[in-house]
Parts: sequence; C-alpha cells; structure tokens
Amino acid sequence: MKGKKEIIVATVLVAMVLLTLFFYLMGTGEIEFNQILLVGIVVILVGLAMYIIWDRIKNVQKGLPAKDERLININYKAGYYAFIAAIWSAVFTPLFFDVSSGYELKGGDVTAIVVLVSGFVFVVSYLYLYRKGN
Amino acid sequence: MKTHIKELRARYDLTQEDLARKVGVRRETILFIEKGNYNPSLQLAHDIAKALQTTINDLFIFEDE
Repeated sequence: MKGKKEIIVATVLVAMVLLTLFFYLMGTGEIEFNQILLVGIVVILVGLAMYIIWDRIKNVQKGLPAKDERLININYKAGYYAFIAAIWSAVFTPLFFDVSSGYELKGGDVTAIVVLVSGFVFVVSYLYLYRKGN
Repeated sequence: MKTHIKELRARYDLTQEDLARKVGVRRETILFIEKGNYNPSLQLAHDIAKALQTTINDLFIFEDE
C-alpha cells in the first residue's frame, strides 16, 4: 500500500515537472544553447524517473514489493553521491566560470546547476548500482 | 560470496519470482544474491534459508571456507 502511494506521488510530481517545462518552453520564445542543455538534462531526469516508476508499477502488479532492502540501500548510496556532487559543484562551478570566461554567475544560476548536477549524479549512480547489484 | 540458492530452488521447483514473493523482495534481488553481487541483510538471509528449508550456514559459502 505504501509502495502504491509513493508511485502515485512520484507520478504526480513527474506530471507537474513536465507541465512546468511545457509552460517554460512556451513562454521562452527563442531558445538559446544553454537553455537547450538545461532542458535536455531535465528531460533526461524526468525520463529516468518515469522508468523507475514504470519498473515499480510492474513489480506491484506481479505482487512483488515496489522496493526492498537492496533498493533502499541503493537510494542511500546514490543520495550520498548526489550530496557530494552538490557540494563540489556549488564550490567549483562559480570558480570554473570565473576563471574560464570571467563571467560571474548569479546565485540563481549556481543553485540551478547544483540541483541539476546532483539530480543527474543521483540518477546515474542509482541506475549503475541498480544494474550492478549493490 | 557464493550461495546454494539456485540448487535449492531447483530442488523445490521454485522460480526466482516465487522465492522473491515468499521472502518479500524483488526478483532482481534474488538474482543478484545468487550471482554473489549483493550481500543480503541477516534478516533476509534468514528468510531465504527458512523458505528453502535450510540454514544460513548451509545456504551461503563464505570466502574463507
């Protein structure tokens, strides 16, 4: 039952992200390269989230749990890697832009990059550990 | 860590999915335990041993044995 609730909440969240992305793209007008990159990363994250939801639904339909101790451990590990990535990206992204192009990033830009990098690292490490076993 | 899960499953004519359902985990978890890619918790090891009517000692082959 708990697994089903989580699946419903995750599905609603994915739908909301897609809707937000749709309205963002509709209101942008001309899209620049860096926006394509950011939207691309968000689309990858949403796609992978949908895969995880589909995988859980498949298991629940077969009468198996949506997640078990292995997946909980994987979540913790992937969360840890994402946290480390968030810290490193928060420190080095402004430095990198400053040194490479002399461009000073705004606080909002850094926050967006940190969220995207940590989300990306979470999903990549989750899928790697999911396929590797542990 | 190697295991005898596959042999015991065959003895009792259980698929990975049947065993997973019995012990309340996903099928992939049983697969990874069988392949030695995942070390289960003591509770899960106990549940699997119980489902296969054996003991943890007989089910798992530890590296130093």
